[in-house]
Amino acid sequence: MNEAVQASATSAIRLVGVSKSYRKGGETVHALSDVSLDIGERGMVAIVGPSGSGKSTLLHMMGGMDEPTEGDVIVAGQTVNRLSQQELTRFRRQTVGFVFQTFNLIPNLTALENVALPMEFNGVPKAARLARGTSLLERFNLGQRLKHRPRELSGGEMQRVAIARAVANEPRLVLADEPTGNLDSRSGQIVYELLREIARERTVVVVTHSEELAGLADRIIHIRDGQLLDAELADPRVSLATAGR
Amino acid sequence: MSMVTLGVRNLMRSKPRLLLTAVLIGVPFFLLLAMQSIGQAVQKQADVLTREVNTVVQLRARGSMGHVNMTSQDRILPQDVLAKAGAIEHVVQVEPYLLAMAPITPPNFVMHVGLAPNALKRLESHGEAGNPRIIAGRDFAPADAGQDVAIIGQAYAKWAGIKAEDIGKATLTVDTTRTHPVIYAIDRPKRELRIVGMYASGYVFGDQQLFLPIDTFRSIYGTESGISWLFVRVDDVRNVAGVIQRLKENVGEVADILAPENAAAFTSSTSRNVIQLSRVGGALAIALMVVVVFFVLLMQVRERSREIGTLKAIGASNKGVTTQFLAEAVGLTLLGGLFGLVLFKFAGEALTGRLFAIGIGPFLPSQYKPLFDSLAVGSDISFPLVGSVVLTALMAAVLGSAYGVWQATKLSPLEAMKDE
Repeated sequence: MNEAVQASATSAIRLVGVSKSYRKGGETVHALSDVSLDIGERGMVAIVGPSGSGKSTLLHMMGGMDEPTEGDVIVAGQTVNRLSQQELTRFRRQTVGFVFQTFNLIPNLTALENVALPMEFNGVPKAARLARGTSLLERFNLGQRLKHRPRELSGGEMQRVAIARAVANEPRLVLADEPTGNLDSRSGQIVYELLREIARERTVVVVTHSEELAGLADRIIHIRDGQLLDAELADPRVSLATAGR
Repeated sequence: MSMVTLGVRNLMRSKPRLLLTAVLIGVPFFLLLAMQSIGQAVQKQADVLTREVNTVVQLRARGSMGHVNMTSQDRILPQDVLAKAGAIEHVVQVEPYLLAMAPITPPNFVMHVGLAPNALKRLESHGEAGNPRIIAGRDFAPADAGQDVAIIGQAYAKWAGIKAEDIGKATLTVDTTRTHPVIYAIDRPKRELRIVGMYASGYVFGDQQLFLPIDTFRSIYGTESGISWLFVRVDDVRNVAGVIQRLKENVGEVADILAPENAAAFTSSTSRNVIQLSRVGGALAIALMVVVVFFVLLMQVRERSREIGTLKAIGASNKGVTTQFLAEAVGLTLLGGLFGLVLFKFAGEALTGRLFAIGIGPFLPSQYKPLFDSLAVGSDISFPLVGSVVLTALMAAVLGSAYGVWQATKLSPLEAMKDE
């Protein structure tokens, strides 16, 4: 086990010298430049930065949806960028849960079926996944909406279903990309409180434009032009970050 | 919610689109079934003709066509030939026929054929074989023996002004005194026959005959005994040569013995051409089906790329995504197949003849045009037919969706963020 992986044994997420660049219109764009970062177990971390700063790219790396050009991304002890396609699928199924800005619920499935879907991918028996799905939706005050399809739900309700889906397989990490971007302030507040609630049991990383909402996080990471600016410790449970500059 | 169920439920997202796609896939299915039906009908016809011709030997009076009123061709076989031929080993059936010609305008003629009610309706102009089918009215029954009834060919009926809806009520008067350059008069009373059925044979001159019970024929033409043609059916094609030898020995002095193999070869080659053309048509129909599935699935993948990305982001494997789209494609093609089957069941018989005329007709010699109207195409839905539809649907689904599915598996989970 190398040093980075060893260190990550106590971290939920560890990025070591991660860079990401790609060609666009004949020019090389550096989305991330030599980013190193540790995020501990449990708690809510907000990544804040302007559009194009690289915050979403950072989130995608953590979720195994994108690969770094250089460096390693280690999540829950696994070097994500070295996993095979099959291992990556298992990683996305068991280790992370995603919450999207536009909810991304499957339109022809009910709320309960949407929540049960990742559990089906994970081989959970039908009765168990329906019981857990129901329990999660009831916990998120959606007990009356089990059989409703997404078009019959409000934005805030859809995002709560999406959060239930993200935690269905009890992942160690939940990644949320602008989860309140399409919600009014009241619904956004509810969703944020929910994310804080689930962050008591796991690590939740939220990308946001909103400094106000970021202020509710245990830790804020600022990013600009693909580089981390600082790392603020808002909760002693979250490990100290090392900002790569 | 398995990926198969998810795929099938995806079909119901837009009912108008589902309906349109089912029609687009169902029409080629119908074309395929129609082409199969044409091929089978022609094959059946060819089989019957080949069997009839290859195992049947024809006897006529020596040096004569055997028509009772044809100038210098009116010698007929003595009646005892029937028993002599029937007694030969390996002969399984003997069928006597009596033939007379009747003039029609413009100066031409039709054929009146007397036969046992249960005998094969042979077509004088086409290798003395045939497989005419009744297209209106009924076939002969044993009780018709000796009755003034007849079954008329569709071309003869057209000349006589008899329509299909008149069958059963219409009559035709046989006037043996009318003449023609090669037909002489027989001084017998006119006789009115009730037309109980109309047939179509698929051959130009084959439809210009009138079949009547042989006893009725004898009564009309005054031919108390004798036979124009005697058809001798042999039990196996390998015994034909031996039977011919025995016939020569027993009745060779009075009969010409004919084994019209050329007609069989002629019929087979024409049938082969039609069957090949119908197969090409069937292959084109499958290709059309595959193209429709290809574009529909590709469109689905493009439209739902964000959803596919989401599924991958929450843990769906490429195998799962493949299963989902394959299930969707199979659902579409099965629905199209069902539509094609229903269309075939209710409109198959009416449309298949037209299809034959449009799709195969132009490639055939002009003398086969009557086939378009008279080919005995069926529209029965059998278990093997349903099985072939299901197999074709599966094949079209797999072939048509392959590229779309491949595109779907190539999509990154990042597609889930596409619009963000």
